[in-house]
Amino acid sequence: MVSRRGFLAGGAAAAASGAVGIAAGAAGASLAAEADLETFAASRQAEFYGPHQSGIELDIQAVTNMVAFDIKESVTKADMLRWMRLLTDDIARLTAGEPVLADPAPELAIGAARFTAYVGFGPSLFSKLGLEAQMPEGFAELPAFGVDQLQERYSAGDVLIHIAADDPVVLAHGTRGLVRDSMPFASVRWVQPGFAHSPGMIPAGLTHRNLMGQVDGTANPELGSSDFDSVVWINDGPEWIKGGTLLVFRRIAMQLDTWDQLGTPSKEEVIGRKLSNGAPLTGERETDVPDLGARHPNGLLVIPEFAHIRRAAPQESGERIFRRPFSYDNGMNERGSMDVGLLWTAYQRDISKQYLPIQRRLEQLDLLNQWTVPIGSAVFAIPGGVQGSELLAEALFS
Amino acid sequence: MRKISLLFLTIPLLLTGCASTGGVVAEDLWVKSSEMSMQGGMTAVYGTLTNNTQQDVVLVGGETEIAGVVEVHEMTMIGGEMKMQEIDGGLTIPAGMSIVLEPGGNHLMLMMLTDDLEAGEEISVTFDFDGAEDITVDGIVAKPAEGGDEDYHSGEMEMDN
Repeated sequence: MVSRRGFLAGGAAAAASGAVGIAAGAAGASLAAEADLETFAASRQAEFYGPHQSGIELDIQAVTNMVAFDIKESVTKADMLRWMRLLTDDIARLTAGEPVLADPAPELAIGAARFTAYVGFGPSLFSKLGLEAQMPEGFAELPAFGVDQLQERYSAGDVLIHIAADDPVVLAHGTRGLVRDSMPFASVRWVQPGFAHSPGMIPAGLTHRNLMGQVDGTANPELGSSDFDSVVWINDGPEWIKGGTLLVFRRIAMQLDTWDQLGTPSKEEVIGRKLSNGAPLTGERETDVPDLGARHPNGLLVIPEFAHIRRAAPQESGERIFRRPFSYDNGMNERGSMDVGLLWTAYQRDISKQYLPIQRRLEQLDLLNQWTVPIGSAVFAIPGGVQGSELLAEALFS
Repeated sequence: MRKISLLFLTIPLLLTGCASTGGVVAEDLWVKSSEMSMQGGMTAVYGTLTNNTQQDVVLVGGETEIAGVVEVHEMTMIGGEMKMQEIDGGLTIPAGMSIVLEPGGNHLMLMMLTDDLEAGEEISVTFDFDGAEDITVDGIVAKPAEGGDEDYHSGEMEMDN
């Protein structure tokens, strides 16, 4: 196969600009703009290199695959480093919309589509490799909660690769490349696909809706803010976790059949927010701060004792997390009951000080528990990002 | 296309000052991992080689620490079957052109491996050219890969050297 590189690219560019020149009329310009609009998702790229791994401090993408692995018995730290060498290069190329090296189907690299993937490690990996001393502060398996109905096939894992993109074909092809390069080192423990809105459905920065209809993710720290840094990104402890974060993952099943039997006022009281726009029952806009002390004229609290946002509200400063939940749809049974819910993710510096106190309050009293059941659970420590020729988690496995 | 080519021919003249790194440039190189191999195992190096010189260059072979023998191979139809064979006289890269070494096509064959080549390992390979300076590339990563209808581990493979 012989190609005149550079010359070929130059020719293509010249041909493209020629086409634009011909279509210079008003109708042509609008056609061109429409064509740009139709393919805008392909060209949007996330940033791979930087202090943090990508796919966390980013407006949520359209589709996701969470893939958890268990390492093979013989795997050592040196093997992990070789695995990370492959993944680092793969993710860098996929984020740029390019095929990975040795891609047997490079024609499927059709655009970046905000592809991201980050890698994380479960507590079991640290014990298998004798790396307990490298465990970050506030990182441990979650205790059992009374509301849990956890299933093994959705829970735990040594290594997580969390992949996301704005296009399902880009996601599938990227997932295949990353999994192919993982097979010498590990077996797939579980894969959990999910989705949010398609690109263009929701303005950037606006909170998306889950399948119960709720605006989900309100009161998150703002992307790019110093508040986000202090809630999510770790800046001390072992070298490898600096610039990283801790992930709590929960697969939360929704009982839509019984939820749909409630009327709008009841649904709103369960959460403490309006379904229309996510505003607290004591406010007008999603961003309004809930007035937890407000009462109706009859003396009853406007946001009831059992309301989700009252139970989840921080009691101590620092009891905050960043949520980035995708939905899942795993089909339905013969009665038409949908197996749907959330791939719920929360990012924080310290699980014991941030997620756990909130979850303990929700476990004790949260009316929402009647329609939501945690059926999968895992925690992962996400190493910091890479610059130049660094490898992901290089300091952990060197 | 001819017009465009003529247009771009002027660019090398403008860039002669920074074209001192001329010769052959290698990109996106990788080597197929060969974890099951023992002494005598085989694998191959793939990627893109671009000839930035004004004359044809021929890839005639190479060296690497992990292989006893390095040859330039092609896949070709012999008697109705795709077979792998050494390219007589090497692989020509015309002036200003690129060649792609890929599974199922031309490749730099590594034979008599001295050790397992595990996924994620890196090797250094020297490419030998006639008509240009040899180049040595470090950090060529071993990828777990199938494809190209090649089966290096099969004892049935015939080599028509």
